[in-house]
This record gives sequence, structure tokens and C-alpha cells, in this order.
Amino acid sequence: MEKLNPQQVAILYRHLDQNGTDDALIEELLDHLACEVEHFMWIGLSFEMALEKVRLEANAKAVSHLRDVYKIELTMTDEQLRQASLDDIVFEFRNKAYGAYDLRQEYRKSLRTALVLSLGLSMMLVALLSVFSNRNWSYMSVWGAMWMLGLVAVAYAAGTWFHQRIQHKYRMAE
Amino acid sequence: MEPSGNEFLRGTLKTIVLKLLTERGRMYGYEITQSVKERTQGEVVLTFGALYPVLHKLQQEGLLITESVEVDGRLRKYYTLTPRGNETALQKVSDFERFVEVMKHLLQPAPVLSMGQ
Repeated sequence: MEKLNPQQVAILYRHLDQNGTDDALIEELLDHLACEVEHFMWIGLSFEMALEKVRLEANAKAVSHLRDVYKIELTMTDEQLRQASLDDIVFEFRNKAYGAYDLRQEYRKSLRTALVLSLGLSMMLVALLSVFSNRNWSYMSVWGAMWMLGLVAVAYAAGTWFHQRIQHKYRMAE
Repeated sequence: MEPSGNEFLRGTLKTIVLKLLTERGRMYGYEITQSVKERTQGEVVLTFGALYPVLHKLQQEGLLITESVEVDGRLRKYYTLTPRGNETALQKVSDFERFVEVMKHLLQPAPVLSMGQ
């Protein structure tokens, strides 16, 4: 069976985009329409004719009707709304996989990690500077304690960052 | 099918989708429409406008999970039943079979009472 080339898929994508397809739906509808075009081409139509047939089917009216159906049928239930964050509500029917949703979800965590990391690094730096000016070093001094504390903070931040990355990868793979 | 057929179809769409998924395991949207078309010899044609809201509703209810796979440079979304989806599918199919049975009785001409003669 003949496959569409990227340019032909792009034509379909533009068609869907111009008719106002929701972000969350567009990839799936694109694949659906591309399959239909391929099917029509397989039974012997040219690409242009197949495209025209599919365009007629997926016209602006059909797409906007679909959007209306989604707004009615798939809005969050009261139960879900009570648990939903502002992000969930703003990003309903939008493309969560694109990245903005994730960034917003992780914002607090990232901020905390960054704060701990910079605090730790500056504590280590202060301790290091004191070593250079005093020319002696003991773990039992105030500077020694500061060095250790900074080290722990940096390790903690690095650990959280790593953990967050793994979780992120896992979510993306879903 | 005639427009009145669409009216009957609307209520059974969920059952049809769940049933197909119990048989085939993993399917994507276009595959479902084709499969329905083939098995009904073209009597039932699902449009994307009818199918996808049902699929996403089932997903929202936790009966299906999805998995996106890149095929020919496009993202294809496959649907699979969750364990709860499997139970619901069996339940819905048996409910629907009973409904069809009952409807058959209703559509048959009423038996003529000829006892005791």
C-alpha cells in the first residue's frame, strides 16, 4: 500500500489546523485522515482526488462539531474538577505533551532544587575562600561545618534533579 | 445505514468499541472504523466525528489506555483495554445481547391465543 510522503501529510495537517482542530486531537486526526487518503489512493484515486474526498468529509463544520461534542461530553466531572489544579483546567483539550504543561507542573520543584543548589554552592565557596585566607583547614571549625553543609545541599539538589529527570522520561514514554 | 439507524448506533457505540478491543487487543482509530465497516459489510460506517469522542470518553473513564507509536512519520495512537475495561466490555456485551433478545420478542407478532379449543 502506498504511503503518503511528508509533504502530503503536511497538506493534511494544514487543512486540519486551518479548520480549527484542537491541539490535543490534531495528531490523531491527522493519522486518521492520512490513512483514509492512503486507502482511497490504494483503490485507484490520485492523491489530489483522494485529498478532495477527505477534505469534504473533514470540513470546517465537521471539525467544529467535533469540538463542540468534546466540550459537552468530555469536560471534567465535578469530582475531577474538585481535584484539578489550575493547570489541569487551563490545559484541558490542549496539547499537554508539547511541554508547557510539564514545565508548569514542575515549576515549584525546580525552583526549590535551584535554590538549594545555589545555597549549597555558595556555602562551599565561602568555606573555600576562608581556607585560602587562613591557610589552615579543619573539619571541626565553623568553615569546615559550612563546607559539609554545602556539600550535603548540593548532593541533595543533584539527587532531586536526577530523580525529576527520570520521572519526566517515564511520563513522556507514556 | 439509514439515518434512523444512526440513532440506534449512538447508544451502542461504546459497546462496539469495547467488544472489538477485547478481540483484537490493541487498535488505533482508523483500524476500528475499518474493522466495523468490514464486519458489517459496509452497513455501519463510523465517522471520525463519532468515534473519537467515544474513545476519549472511555479513556477518561479509565477503561482504555493509550500508547503513541510513530508510524510512517506520523504519531499513531493505539488503544488497549485496562482490566476494568475488560470487565466493562464483558458486562456491556452481555447486557446488549439481552437487550437484542428482548427487542426480538417485542418485534415478533403477538402470538395468537389458541388454547383450550
